Amino acid sequence: MKKILLTISLCFLAGNIMAQDKQSEIDSLVDVALAKKGFKPSKTQFMIRGYGHTGVDNVTTNGEKESSYVGSAFAPIFLFKHSDKLIFEAELEFALENNALEIGLEYANVMYVANDYLTIRAGKFLLPFGTFMERLHPSWINRLPTKPLGFGHDGIAPSSGIGVELRGAVNLGGPRINYSIYSTNGPRLKDGSIEAAEAGMLLFSNFEDNNNSKAFGGRIGLLPFSDSSTEIGFSTYSTNGAGVRGSVYEDVGAFLYALDFSFIKQISAIGGMVDVKSQYNNSKIDNATYFDPADGDTYTFNNKSNSFYTQLSYRPTMSDSDFIKKLEFVGRYSSFNAPVGAEWAGEAEQYAFGLNYWLSWRSLIKVAYQTTDTIGGHDGDANTKGFFIHWAIGF
Amino acid sequence: MKTIYKTTIISLSVLIMAVLFVSCSSTKDKYTNADDDDFKIEKSGAQLWGETCNRCHLAPSPADYNDTDWDTIGLHMQVRANLPKEDIEKIKEFLKSAN
Repeated sequence: MKKILLTISLCFLAGNIMAQDKQSEIDSLVDVALAKKGFKPSKTQFMIRGYGHTGVDNVTTNGEKESSYVGSAFAPIFLFKHSDKLIFEAELEFALENNALEIGLEYANVMYVANDYLTIRAGKFLLPFGTFMERLHPSWINRLPTKPLGFGHDGIAPSSGIGVELRGAVNLGGPRINYSIYSTNGPRLKDGSIEAAEAGMLLFSNFEDNNNSKAFGGRIGLLPFSDSSTEIGFSTYSTNGAGVRGSVYEDVGAFLYALDFSFIKQISAIGGMVDVKSQYNNSKIDNATYFDPADGDTYTFNNKSNSFYTQLSYRPTMSDSDFIKKLEFVGRYSSFNAPVGAEWAGEAEQYAFGLNYWLSWRSLIKVAYQTTDTIGGHDGDANTKGFFIHWAIGF
Repeated sequence: MKTIYKTTIISLSVLIMAVLFVSCSSTKDKYTNADDDDFKIEKSGAQLWGETCNRCHLAPSPADYNDTDWDTIGLHMQVRANLPKEDIEKIKEFLKSAN
């Protein structure tokens, strides 16, 4: 009996070993086959990229000092590559502001590459009005912790819009040209009924069009040199009606334009990389009559605004020291002029200086000092000095 | 403002038509006898990577993403940064070969 059991056990064991050998053989054959064929990823790809920053701000306004750690801003970008021609992008923005979590949809659009020279975009997209808001504003790209005057809240430059856009670029055998043409819902005119002090301003967050007038705009960029070191751009943005449908402001139009300049090059004579960025924005809104609740009277003004910034940065990329190589010195001047006669009339000038340390190509620590002189405006005359330490990361 | 608006619309319309006409028209093969190389300054992907990416941000390290990711990022950058197709193809090729 024992012999029989032993024989059965041995057969079972031998069978198992043989089966395992067979399985190993099959596995190795599959491995070889896969290796021969090569790993083939699917055409459809999903990626999360984005950026975030955190830091500490010390701001003194007319002698009154405020100091605060600033909550981490987190901006995930979702990329869904449907095919080699079709891609969807969306960016959410989470920011801790005014003791609350604010969530925004920066953009969400679908892009179709029709051919080598033409791409169609539809949805909410960053507007190519100059280059700052479309290309340079993310915290890991912007060399300073703040935006220049004229951008962001109360700025005159539109940042995003909902609509459709055609864009593309051509290599002319050295020089390059890129273009963009779009139509969006356009801006809303603030008529002063909600905030009297902002009457005559444009609000670019027009998610549902307040009238039947669309905004049309575009940008053309020229890179005249084969090393792509220099780019000159011209942008426009125009609408023939920004007021609410049926109101006296319905036909108040606006015409905005921007000029931008960029130069970046490694110059051996100074042992590093020089980066110059500039943009001039100009806004003209049709004159209209607004109501001033303070004195119960109406008023009008020539609704023209402009803003400008220029930024110079230098990275000693040719230094022998690894530490010095990762440093970057930045200086920026910006100015803003609001229309004379408006409740928000004013002018401001800002100087900012920074020293950055690049931890990697997509992460940096920014230390910056900024001083802003404002005459008039929302909050009256002010001198604001700020000292910032921010840590930004792109991923 | 109406005049400026109309001028803008007309200019943009002309530009759109020109773009559509050029981009939808037939290829160079039919009409161009000369070789492209006669006119173009051919650059390597590595050179374009250094020149192009740095226009906005520091040039990325090839090792930070795999080939599939570079395809997605490349397509995204082609549209977002408005780059010529041939430039981005060469950059992608370089990034994939160097990661």
